[in-house]
Amino acid sequence: MTKWDKILIVCLMAASVLLIVPILQGQPVPSQAVVSVRNEEKLRLNLAQNGSYSVKGTLGPVNIEVQDGSVRVTQENSPHHYCSRQGWVNSTAVPIVCLPNETVIRIQGESGSEDTVIQ
Amino acid sequence: MKTRRAVILAFLVTAGILLQLLESFVPVVMLVPGYKIGLANIAGLFALYAYGTRDMVIVTVCRIFLAGLLTGTLFSVGFLLSISGAVLALSAMALARKSGLFSIYGVSVAGAAAHSVGQVLAVTAIYQQYFMQMFLPVLLALSIVSGLLIALVTERLLIRMRHVIGRTQPGRN
Repeated sequence: MTKWDKILIVCLMAASVLLIVPILQGQPVPSQAVVSVRNEEKLRLNLAQNGSYSVKGTLGPVNIEVQDGSVRVTQENSPHHYCSRQGWVNSTAVPIVCLPNETVIRIQGESGSEDTVIQ
Repeated sequence: MKTRRAVILAFLVTAGILLQLLESFVPVVMLVPGYKIGLANIAGLFALYAYGTRDMVIVTVCRIFLAGLLTGTLFSVGFLLSISGAVLALSAMALARKSGLFSIYGVSVAGAAAHSVGQVLAVTAIYQQYFMQMFLPVLLALSIVSGLLIALVTERLLIRMRHVIGRTQPGRN
């Protein structure tokens, strides 16, 4: 190992630490929940504001509640109630899907970034 | 090209292919996508120190194409990532060796780091997504470790294979 080897290694370590900083800051902050029925955007909820909302799904009304930056489905009409059982959601990566009602609730970040799947 | 050198280069390509296939069977760390130890680079690094830059390029490029052919991933996305990483790694290793400042450890670490950067650039270009950059710091940190490891193995190998290389005239690049 020469002196330059050590310099290179230290530089790379510093670079990897420095690169982490802007990435941690650049994380999208969950700010809005978008409610869509049959691929049509019905509601755009501000997660900073608590409240209860309702949209008309295929099988009847879907009641949605926003509290402390999280969103959940409180009541809806479907065979298994998957979406109301799912409970509170506050991640941009996890949508609430109620297929019988064709209702999807997605949380979006400030920058509106979406997640992707790489095969 | 002397016959003996051609034969040794062919053996190096074969060893590289085998190492690459072996590595693809063993999911080392699934923690970070895209992370590999880079065992196959032993062949390239060996060629660089035994014969020179040109032979390293020959060994590595042949190895990547043939391994792609054998695994059936030729010209797939993974193959493109492999190639773009290799192009940067080869340039970095050749430059580091030419500069004369680094030992085999520095050269190997430079190559490993450049490979990570190349892969991240390729993912960004192909998928038009920037999330892969989140892994760049982790990949860089890990590439230091794997680079040192590969250099250690190659150094031992070069010492043990001295008599094989020695009889051919190792051209100074």
